[in-house]
Amino acid sequence: MRVAVLGVGYSGFNTNTPDLNWKELMLEAAVRAYEDAGINPRKDVDSVVTCAEDFWEGFAIFDEFVPDQLGGVLKPTCTVCSDFLYGVATAYMQIKSGLADIVVVEAHSKASDILTFGEVIKFAMDPVWLRDIGNAHPYYFAALEMSQYVSECCINEEQIAEVVVKNKNNALLNSSAPYGAKVTVEDVLNSPMVFDPMRKIEIAPVSDGAVVFVLGNEFVAREITDTPVWVKGVGWWSETSNYDTMSFNAMYAYKAAKMAYKLAKITNPAKEVDFAEVDDRFAFKELQHIEALQLSRKYETGSLMQEGYFARDGELPVNVSGGNLGVGNLLEATGGQKALEVVLQLRGLAGKRQIEAETGVAQAWRYIPTASGTVAVFGV
Amino acid sequence: MFNEKIVDPAELRHWGGKIELYWIYTSGEAGDRFFKALRDEGKFIAAKCKKCGRVYFPPRMYCEFDFSETEYQEISGKGRVRAYTVAWLDKDEKPLEKPEIYAIIDMEGTDGCMIHLLGEVEEDQVEIGMEVEPVLRDKSEREGTINDILYFKPS
Ligand SMILES: [Zn+2]
Repeated sequence: MRVAVLGVGYSGFNTNTPDLNWKELMLEAAVRAYEDAGINPRKDVDSVVTCAEDFWEGFAIFDEFVPDQLGGVLKPTCTVCSDFLYGVATAYMQIKSGLADIVVVEAHSKASDILTFGEVIKFAMDPVWLRDIGNAHPYYFAALEMSQYVSECCINEEQIAEVVVKNKNNALLNSSAPYGAKVTVEDVLNSPMVFDPMRKIEIAPVSDGAVVFVLGNEFVAREITDTPVWVKGVGWWSETSNYDTMSFNAMYAYKAAKMAYKLAKITNPAKEVDFAEVDDRFAFKELQHIEALQLSRKYETGSLMQEGYFARDGELPVNVSGGNLGVGNLLEATGGQKALEVVLQLRGLAGKRQIEAETGVAQAWRYIPTASGTVAVFGV
Repeated sequence: MFNEKIVDPAELRHWGGKIELYWIYTSGEAGDRFFKALRDEGKFIAAKCKKCGRVYFPPRMYCEFDFSETEYQEISGKGRVRAYTVAWLDKDEKPLEKPEIYAIIDMEGTDGCMIHLLGEVEEDQVEIGMEVEPVLRDKSEREGTINDILYFKPS
């Protein structure tokens, strides 16, 4: 039984959303997704999966606050405390097992409501061994990983700057990417260093938005369209919760990709994957994740980035949407925005940034201070 | 700057709120052993897996790779800088009074490491591979927490 994307909807993405509260943000994305799929949620949906983390929301037991705004009351509902792509994996299993024909997956970010973003991340750090060390923003944790990565893999600052330049310029062709900008490598290198070796511009600022997918089995998909986009594979993986045993080298993404590629029957990702949307909430993470997805070999990723290999018109475009550096940090909706871009590209609905592609990969990380992540492979 | 946007909706219609919550965090069997030895004797404790021999730092009572027991052993507390960052912003993204240097320090005699601050060294003098040793709070002021270690300094 194959799993198809029946419809997608989104709201945002923007730096803040004064007109809608978080429930209305979800509603807006859901209404669009149901219209896109041509379904009636009260009648056709078998199961609802939301992806959220209480501390981002500012209240406890998030799963109590759904599914009314998704049209899913009186139905099987659960919340995955993680990224949207974990929700896709959950829905995939529900459909594959025959438990449900049509499943809705949702994730959102109302990050602009959070007044103490740094404090929330600090709350994710081990309270005994790590949280109370020093007074810096927990972004330092990512900078430590970057320090190890750039020295291990001989990455220079121009190569990191190229990631920022590519993604912010890509974002100029995406009307849903609020942080698009016409920047150059020189601009980046002249911008403030805040967590040496990391510059402020390499850190994706937060943004708001919601993503809803309607997934269904092959039979339902065939009734709706002759050319569905398929979920070809999903994978997820965690290293450990302890910093002393983490690889600090995106092993989680490598293993999650292996799992997804196996399901998708992809044996040579660098050849078979046409494009990818990867987690670039810190610029160096894009290089690390490209390697982990086996789209390039270790030690060559930085120079390929400089040569334009991952550009929109390059051999293997990465983050054509603008990535998190262009769209913003969407918290648990991060993987949602990536999957959305992959689906829009595969359906030929990506407007001016449209590329030619048949197989695309979406990848998300669980953010600092974790070593966990997910990968989903989509194709036509 | 070229990419600055308004990201603060506090000027817009909103409702203020906060979560004021309190916990105690127990440090656990291994943590208790570590922090007491640090507070009372200024010693560092690691934990060795009885099965595979991996030496954990920070210490813990189980090996996460083969899920078996560990035994405690004393280590020097010295280490080597594997990675570092000079942090200029506080948790609210405002400039820190003085930058803080954080490091991943591979701990001597273990397979583990510690994330902590570096001190008694200028920002531009820190190097990957640099050998460092811990500087502890005066014994009378130690509380049995991670901040009984003030920082690590070049040795
Ligand atoms: Zn062991």
